[in-house]
Amino acid sequence: MRKRATIVCSVALLLAGCGGGGPQGSSDSKLSGDRIVLGVLNDQSGVYLALSGTNSVKAVQMAIADFKAKHGGDAITDDITVETADHQNKPDIANTKAAEMYDRLSVDAILDVPTSSAALKVADVAKEKKKLYFNISGATTDLTGKSCNKYTFHYAYDTYMLANGTGKTVTEQGAKNWYIVYPNYAFGQDMEKSFSAAVTGAGGTIVGKDATPFPNDNFSTFLLKAPTLNPKPDVLGTMQAGGDLVNLVKQYNEFKLREKGVDLSVGLMFLTDIHSLTPAALAGTTYTDAWYWNFDAENRAFADRFLKETGSRPTFAHAANYSAALQYLEAVQAAGTDDADAVVKQLEGKDINDVFLRNGKIRAEDHRVIHDAYLAQVKPAAEVTEDWDYVKILKTIPAAEAFRTPSADCKL
Amino acid sequence: MSVATQEKAKRPPSLLRAVAGAPRGLRWALLAAALAVTLWLPNGLYPAVAVDILCWALFAVAVDLLLGYTGLLSFGHAAFWGTSAYATGLVAIHAGVPFPVAVLAGALVAAALAAPIGYLAVRRTGIYFAMVTLAFAQMIYYIANNRRGLTGGENGLQSVPRELFGLDLTDAYYFYYAALPVVLLGLWAAWRIVHSPFGRVLVGIRDNPARARALGYPVHRYKLLAFVLSAFIAGLGGGLFAMAHRFVTLDTLHWTTSGKAVVMVVLGGIGTLWGGVLGAALLVRLEDWLSFSGFEAVGLVTGGLFIVVVLVFRRGLWGTAADLLRRRLNR
Repeated sequence: MRKRATIVCSVALLLAGCGGGGPQGSSDSKLSGDRIVLGVLNDQSGVYLALSGTNSVKAVQMAIADFKAKHGGDAITDDITVETADHQNKPDIANTKAAEMYDRLSVDAILDVPTSSAALKVADVAKEKKKLYFNISGATTDLTGKSCNKYTFHYAYDTYMLANGTGKTVTEQGAKNWYIVYPNYAFGQDMEKSFSAAVTGAGGTIVGKDATPFPNDNFSTFLLKAPTLNPKPDVLGTMQAGGDLVNLVKQYNEFKLREKGVDLSVGLMFLTDIHSLTPAALAGTTYTDAWYWNFDAENRAFADRFLKETGSRPTFAHAANYSAALQYLEAVQAAGTDDADAVVKQLEGKDINDVFLRNGKIRAEDHRVIHDAYLAQVKPAAEVTEDWDYVKILKTIPAAEAFRTPSADCKL
Repeated sequence: MSVATQEKAKRPPSLLRAVAGAPRGLRWALLAAALAVTLWLPNGLYPAVAVDILCWALFAVAVDLLLGYTGLLSFGHAAFWGTSAYATGLVAIHAGVPFPVAVLAGALVAAALAAPIGYLAVRRTGIYFAMVTLAFAQMIYYIANNRRGLTGGENGLQSVPRELFGLDLTDAYYFYYAALPVVLLGLWAAWRIVHSPFGRVLVGIRDNPARARALGYPVHRYKLLAFVLSAFIAGLGGGLFAMAHRFVTLDTLHWTTSGKAVVMVVLGGIGTLWGGVLGAALLVRLEDWLSFSGFEAVGLVTGGLFIVVVLVFRRGLWGTAADLLRRRLNR
């Protein structure tokens, strides 16, 4: 292989007549055990800025500080840094940046990467470069399904966990009839399928489901249709996210559907979404959360530190970035090397409890990181007494039930 | 930038005077310099970024062929860039052919798609032409989104193989040199088109379609052919882009992709052909740099640059530089 490469190079050089060297930075020689570099690759200028973005970089820095404080002089190295890049939610930029991080910036592990197509591509790069990748904000179950690989771990959440948590639990609590609207693209379609399966599995009925254009700003057709369905749905399940969710919720309130007996359940929502929509607009809405900052004293202590650093409370993505960075560093410490294969061996099958992972376990079969999830409900405005404390946790979904069983499609 | 262009004009007066009598010699010198830069590029930039520049350069030149030389602003060229990317990816995945063959197949599919779209679109001009092309591009976008079995929907086509007679092209550095001949071929084709009698007729149509028709030229047919050729060159770029990243996503068909190519042409200079290459290099490099800069508003910088160029350099960077050079030579 090397020989072929040399031939290509010499042909190229012959053509070029230029004395350029080989590919830059492709050698691994710079990587050594006495330096660890973490890379945060996410959206720092677009729609996912608030829910993860630059504040996740700060969360990772907090993890590094905690790791150093814990291990002190025994830490494997003192030299731990964070590199970060904005992939602008474009998979091609994510591809180039991920390769550049691994090759040129000697990044040992990449974290985060929202947008499923970008996440899938970065997983591909990780596999090729044999370096670690902890996906946090990408939602597709393909990362632990047909696109899974040895160097990729899926933290926090996925479409199955969201749908199963909300669909199953809400149905079991008595809301039997569902009307589902979903945006017509991969995320929405996956969510609709998982949701329908979860609802019918729990003894509920899907009385109607409609795909909406994406993006869309007028949902009146679907909202007017909802109360006229027979039987009348108890819940409107929306898989919309971001700007579409904002539009839908506003119109849901304008049509006064809650007063007409149709509750609202949201597939995916972040704390920052509630903050920008205001809790009053969402009061009563149920959704599945991977983590909540005011759940207990430990979370709150972390959130207080985070607030001091960033000026806002952490979403679950921020906490998951913190946890992934910390657990990676712990694994390197335990393995005594940053060699990817050795670190993977350390992580696989490990039971973990930290501020983010409750009853956590890194599954060896598909590298899904499982942990307790929570069914959350947005508080009525009157009950909101503190900024950012917008939801109450209705139920803790145990780790074993929250995520799907390892998929047969995944061959590590 | 203005400093650089002034410098370009000022710095080598003696050299210019020496070649002033022989602009042909100057042209060869410039061509040689451009080739040298092209060959050196992946040594100076991260190779994957250099490959991106090549792909976008083809795309921008294709758009300029229509915008600058035929007077048609296509706002739906992503349809051809993206269709070719998907076709190239599918051919490479299912047929396992060498990558230039897959790219060529992709470009042909793009050209075939351009024929019916162009047939309808060239009947309109100006803003209506832009809207018709945009509408078709959006249609293609939604088709690709809904045909998940074929295109992978929003997740895209993953793991496209990159193959050339068993050579290992995993490294972007080697792929750059493997892709370069395809790009040079595309650029040469664009240059030949512009400097052929056919190209002169296109310019005539751009400047005065009524007179061109009066002279007996079938205006629609000329425009249609230009449209198809442009789609073919855009398709070459799109196919290479798919190969460069080894995946294809819906982004390649999104209307912002069309917009990006138009911005590149305007930055470089409309109707200058090579301006598109310059614009592509500038914008790709800038976006790459900005994503590591920690700056939270990428659009603000690229948008700001666009406004400055449009206000200060009406003819684009290349156009302005060429003007200055020409004035100096003719003095």
